[in-house]
Amino acid sequence: MSIWRLGWRVSQHEPRTFWTGYLLFVLFFTFPVLSGWLLGRGFNALSTGHNTRVFWIGGALVLCEVARMSCIHIGALNWTRAWVHMQSLLRANLLNAQVASGGPEAGQPVGSAGEAITHFRDDVEDVTMFIDGFVDISAGVVFTALAGLVLGSVDGRAALMLLIPLVGVAMATRTLDARIKRYRAADRIAASAVSGLLGDVMAAATTVKVNNAIEPTIAHLQKLVDARRRTAVRDRVLDESVWAFSQGAADVGLGLVLLSAAGAMAAGRFSVGELAVFSAYLGWLSFLPRMVGRMLARRKQVSVAFDRMSLLVADTNANNTVTDRLLPIGLRQHRARPLAVRPERVPLDVLDVRHLTAHYPSGDGVHDVSFSVRRGSFTVITGPIGSGKSTLLRALLGLAHQAEVTGEVAWNGNVLIDRGAFLIPPNAAFLPQVPQLISDSVADNIALGVIDEAQLSLALELAAVLADIEEMPDGTRTLIGPRGLRLSGGQRQRVATARALVHSPELVVLDDLSSAVDIETELQLWSNLAAVGITVIAVSHRAVAFDRADQLLRLQDGHLV
Amino acid sequence: MPTQTARWRALAALLRPDAWRWVGLGALVACGSGLILTGPLIVREIVDRATAGTTTGQLTRLAVLFLIVAAATQLINMAVAWVATVTAWHTTNGIRLRLARHVLGLSHGFHRRHTPGELIQRVDGDVTSVSDFMGRVIPRAAGAVFMMVGMIGVLAVVDWRLALGAVVYVAVAVAVVIRGRHRAVGESSDEMGSYARLYGGIEERLTAAEDLRSNGAGAHAMWRFVEDSADALGSAVRREKAFLRMWWAVDGSVGAGSVVSLIASALMVGRHMITVADAFLLFQYVLLLARPLEDMVDQLETVQKANGAMVRVIDLLEVEPEVRDEGTTLPAGGPLSVEFRDVAFDYGDETAVLQSINLSFAAGRAIGLVGRTGSGKTTLSRLVLRLVEATGGSVLLGGVPIEQIPLNELRRRVALVPQEVELLSGTIRDNVTLFDEVPTDDAVASALRNAGLVSLADGGIHRRLGAGGAGLSAGEAQLLALARVWLRDPDIVVLDEATARIDPATEAELEAAVARLCNGRTTLIIAHRLSTLRHVDEIVVLDHGRVVEHGDRTDLADDIDSRYRHLLELALDDEAVAP
Repeated sequence: MSIWRLGWRVSQHEPRTFWTGYLLFVLFFTFPVLSGWLLGRGFNALSTGHNTRVFWIGGALVLCEVARMSCIHIGALNWTRAWVHMQSLLRANLLNAQVASGGPEAGQPVGSAGEAITHFRDDVEDVTMFIDGFVDISAGVVFTALAGLVLGSVDGRAALMLLIPLVGVAMATRTLDARIKRYRAADRIAASAVSGLLGDVMAAATTVKVNNAIEPTIAHLQKLVDARRRTAVRDRVLDESVWAFSQGAADVGLGLVLLSAAGAMAAGRFSVGELAVFSAYLGWLSFLPRMVGRMLARRKQVSVAFDRMSLLVADTNANNTVTDRLLPIGLRQHRARPLAVRPERVPLDVLDVRHLTAHYPSGDGVHDVSFSVRRGSFTVITGPIGSGKSTLLRALLGLAHQAEVTGEVAWNGNVLIDRGAFLIPPNAAFLPQVPQLISDSVADNIALGVIDEAQLSLALELAAVLADIEEMPDGTRTLIGPRGLRLSGGQRQRVATARALVHSPELVVLDDLSSAVDIETELQLWSNLAAVGITVIAVSHRAVAFDRADQLLRLQDGHLV
Repeated sequence: MPTQTARWRALAALLRPDAWRWVGLGALVACGSGLILTGPLIVREIVDRATAGTTTGQLTRLAVLFLIVAAATQLINMAVAWVATVTAWHTTNGIRLRLARHVLGLSHGFHRRHTPGELIQRVDGDVTSVSDFMGRVIPRAAGAVFMMVGMIGVLAVVDWRLALGAVVYVAVAVAVVIRGRHRAVGESSDEMGSYARLYGGIEERLTAAEDLRSNGAGAHAMWRFVEDSADALGSAVRREKAFLRMWWAVDGSVGAGSVVSLIASALMVGRHMITVADAFLLFQYVLLLARPLEDMVDQLETVQKANGAMVRVIDLLEVEPEVRDEGTTLPAGGPLSVEFRDVAFDYGDETAVLQSINLSFAAGRAIGLVGRTGSGKTTLSRLVLRLVEATGGSVLLGGVPIEQIPLNELRRRVALVPQEVELLSGTIRDNVTLFDEVPTDDAVASALRNAGLVSLADGGIHRRLGAGGAGLSAGEAQLLALARVWLRDPDIVVLDEATARIDPATEAELEAAVARLCNGRTTLIIAHRLSTLRHVDEIVVLDHGRVVEHGDRTDLADDIDSRYRHLLELALDDEAVAP
């Protein structure tokens, strides 16, 4: 789909807000035509001594100004809303694709969250700026057409002269805007070199000091700040040139009008009022060419932005970044916490893994693994580092997105088509080796939705973390900080275990616990799970797990041995 | 806290080194403002002559003159931007370097209280805010003031009543715009806060994406996103409202200005006090005022930020270094003796870290310092480098009290190998020389070889290391720290042994390199593993900030009752148990 269609779909997410903002903004731009014309009449009346008429025109100008500002007041508020709505739609589609458990909307997971966030911020910004540019252009076209009519009727030749600086502005903006972006990128690199060095030497302040290296370090810093001064100056001067050009265009335009109308003025055919109309319009006339130039420079950026965003969504298809969805973020829109969409519980009798193979592009993976798990049994997977234990679990659960996966998994004999969508609570739950928590309360991290208290404390007890949580002043409502960093490593692991157990899943899959919890805790956990009769597949290196296992699978270089 | 005037004085002091540049910039700005006012004057002339009746040729000449002035105005504007940016960066780069030097000279305690991230912000981020202010706001504000003064001057020549009216108008317009500003700035930073939460939340959910997927928590994650987005929308609308209020003020001022000027002109033209051309001039001048008023809105945030930043910069410069560099005596060349005379140290509270330390080490000896964590070993070693200052007694190097030795000389002759090696992202050479350009590449390579990093030296010293020294093992990092010392060839070496576990091969390499380094220098080794003290001459045992034992290593090791012997036995037990 072209960027025009994609942009259109984004703009029509909240059509009422969008069109209100759009129309009022365009209307806002027609007022200067009226007020410029009134000013011209005013000056003509003034020069011919019709003072009463000047007063009336003054009154009309005041009304015109009030109407114009009221128009932009409502228009800008609507447009701000439309802007956030449009951005939120794009962000929602990206985020939804990243957190969906299987299904048609799930996209490829991204590598680094820090980098992915730029899609949510910068690419989304690029798209909305593009749509915003359209509004500007529409307004500019309406203004220019009306102003052209007025000016043309005053003095056609002078009006035509104005085209020269206007075309110049459009071309200059287009060229310079692209260059500004380049210069700004260079400036950012120079700036991060400075802050990088500062960060390093501030972290190593003692080393710098005891090695008597303060002066050499400052000399090195001087080189970097000098380099940054040069990039900053280049960036800034170019930026200023763009402004100077469009500002200058108005003055040059007036000069050209004066030049072309000199004869008419000398003959008394070009009145002061007419000059006033021209000079009142000129400040606004460079708006359209500036916006057109900017849009021409931006078009490519937007198509790149859509390409980048499509990496996050299903089938890397940009159409999926603009799917319309319900997003009640408006000031008066009703918001209700949605109920989690979960698959129906299918009690497990037997799970069959048949010829499961997963290959990562790096060459790692598992080869042709088959085994069965009966209800209520405890399966332990072990093997050296890099033997493919985690890959096996992820491939089984449909989470090995970057790998090429073949083979099948059957639940009570039925082969699962979309494992990612089926093997989630209440059917299966997974605890990764390094679980990630989010800056929320303990309860929210475990429930990830709505849940009753009894279920919550049962899960905490099973995960052997109830005592820890009860000691905290706010209990389960304790906020655990960004990424759960206010908890100890062992507590994080056990809270995540509680998260896996809270929906009493038919099957629980636990990646290596041993690295984060001590031997007593691991032992306690296995007894707790055995007591409730839950089916478990777990990676472990400890004898306490082997002793209890109904089935022990040993992996070596991706093969079951 | 300095007062507002003290801050302005401090700002002026920071500008002083570049005073001439700033004066030149001021002249350029004044030229620009003058030209801006000239354009409408030419138009007035044209209108005047056209109403009076003139030839086309005359008007054409004036129109060409107008075009030239318009072009020159824009050229000067660009020149102002160029000179202003260059000057602002010149001045603020001076401030950056001064701050960086100042902060690096501050005590260990200061650096423990402030994270590197915070210091980057204060040395660079804050100064950049000041730089934006100097490069953008000051020239524009000066230009606006020049323009308004010039405008009032021109109007006064035309008619004093016009000038008076303009003064009143400008005063009212500025007051109206300023009134709305604080609120707009506040709302805008609220909006930034809510967007920071939105992006922070998204990043966290992306990091936890697998956990969310495998728990079927997509709907929950999306719900939090919707809440954060709703919050962002609310704050964006509030910010927009605050800015609209200012927009009303600016546009209202300009609109009211043109209506009032039109009506006043009509009355005055009617009474023949001014001509129609004067009226047109007045009208054009009112339009010119729109730009500075809009700038006032646009630049408010920059001003606000720069104001806060300026305060922090000045406060930071006023933090006094604890260690003063006032010495003038140079100790004799060669290895230096080290003496502690009744030395005491505390952090200003009741608990003494060190008390009545009396120790004397002859030049060229190797001394091992042992004792439990918190016994004062590290503090004792820091005193030798004046990283901290003794609160009682004195430390003498080569017989000279340490505070009488210039800091530069002291740090040239005394070297420290810290426990945690701090690496920079840069080349291997940068990491050894710490950006000193004097040592030759050969000298750097040979220091690396002497420190036992032969392969690193052979691989080329201009290779880059990743952030935090990525690409080096913990053992190699230790050896690199030795190379730093080797390159400087000091007379006293203080070595704080690394606690990090390193593999046996590297450990043997490290031990050999340390032995080579100690040769011919006075060496203090703070040991955490007694096995590394095999080569030292003397042992000092510290406990609770006091020396409890001092003597030759061999004597103490042979003495069954000595503390050192006792520690040796404990260590043997422990090392036998450890894996």
